[in-house]
Amino acid sequence: MRFRIALLIALTACTLAALAKDDDLLNQGRKAPSVSAMPVPIVQVTRGKPGNFQIQFRVSSGFHINSNKPKSEYLVPTALKLDPPTDIVIANVSYPAGADKSFSFLGPNESLNVYSGDFIVSGKVLASQKASPGIYRVHGTLTYQACDNAQCFPPKKTPVSFDVRVARATSHRVRRNPPQSPNVH
Amino acid sequence: MNEAVPQPQPNLPVDNNHGPVGTNRNWVIVVVIAIVLALMVWAAAWHARQGMRGRAQLSGSVAGKPAPDFALKDVSGKTVHLSDFKGKAVLLNFWATWCPPCKEEIPWFVDLQQKYGQQGFQVIGISTDDDAKPQEIEAFARTLGVNYPVLLSNQGVESEYGGIEALPTTFYIGRDGKIVSRIRGLASHAVVEENIHAAMAQTQANAQTGNAN
Repeated sequence: MRFRIALLIALTACTLAALAKDDDLLNQGRKAPSVSAMPVPIVQVTRGKPGNFQIQFRVSSGFHINSNKPKSEYLVPTALKLDPPTDIVIANVSYPAGADKSFSFLGPNESLNVYSGDFIVSGKVLASQKASPGIYRVHGTLTYQACDNAQCFPPKKTPVSFDVRVARATSHRVRRNPPQSPNVH
Repeated sequence: MNEAVPQPQPNLPVDNNHGPVGTNRNWVIVVVIAIVLALMVWAAAWHARQGMRGRAQLSGSVAGKPAPDFALKDVSGKTVHLSDFKGKAVLLNFWATWCPPCKEEIPWFVDLQQKYGQQGFQVIGISTDDDAKPQEIEAFARTLGVNYPVLLSNQGVESEYGGIEALPTTFYIGRDGKIVSRIRGLASHAVVEENIHAAMAQTQANAQTGNAN
C-alpha cells in the first residue's frame, strides 16, 4: 500500500514538473519585456544648493533596450523625463554608456549600443531660495524600447518618482565673543 | 516476574539497523525513478528552450481563417485594400523603422517579390511607426530598395489581426484569402521562402481539389 502511495506521489511530482516546463515552452517568446525603477532614497537638499539623485532601473532578463545614444537615428533612445514641482529644478541628467552588442539579426560588423540588466540614471536637484522647507515629490517617466534576439516591442514608458527634502540654508553669521575684562586675575 | 509477549514477526528478512529490507528497497526505487523522470522532463524542456532561443515564435492558431480585409493609406496617401490583391498569395509584414530585425528581413522580401511576383505573389508592408511621418517612412523604405506597397498601420487593422505585440509579425495569406501561417519575430530566409511556397501551393491545392470535384 505504501509502495503504491509512494509511486502515485512520484508520478504526480513528475507530472507537475512536466506541466511547469510545458508552461515555459508555451510562453517561450511570449514573455513581454519590462523596465522597472528601484525605490529611490529621499534626496536631501538645502535651499540654493544642489543635491544628487540616482535612479536604478532594471531591464527584465532576456531583453535589452537602446541606450540613451543609440547608433541609428531611427532607434528609440532611452530617456528620462522628470516633471518637478514648483521651486524644484532638475538638471544635469546623465546616462551610463551603453554596451556595444552584436545580434544575429545584424550584419557581421554591426552592433547596437544597449542597456541590459541594471543601469543608473543620475542628476542634480536644486531647490530655489524661496522653496518652503519640506518634502516635495518629483514624478516622471522613463521611455524605452526593448528587443530580444529575434523581435522588438513597441516603445513603452515606466513611471518614476522620488522625494526631495528641502531644508533651510544654515546661518553663517559670525559670532562675536563678549568683551573681555582687561583685568585678568 | 513478567515476561515480554513475543510480537508477531513479518515474513520479510530484517535488517537489524533499518527495519524490513524489501520495503526500504521499494522506497529507494520509487525515489530514484521519480528523480530520474523529473530530470528527463526538465532536460527535454531545457533543450527545447535552447533550440527556440533566437528563433521566431510560430503560431498556428490563425491558420485557415480568412484574412481580414483592410483599407489603409500608403506613404503617398493612396488608399489600399487587401482585397485589391484578391487571387494572389500575400505576405503581409508588420514592421517599424525602429525595429532592427525588421530591417534584416526586408531585403529578403524585396528579393522574393522580384522572384515570385510574376507567379501571383505580393508582399505588403505595414509600418506601425506612430511618430514617423509618411515621408520619413518612405525614405527609410527607399534605402532598403522596397519594391512593394508600404502602408500606414492603425489600431483597427492591428486589432483585426489579433493584436501586434512584437515586430516583425508576418502573415502568409493564400490565394483563397485564408491565412496560412503567422510568424512573430525574425525567421530565417529559408523559413520565409517555405511559407511563401506554402501560401502559393495552398491555393493550387484548392484549385486541384475543385477540379477533382
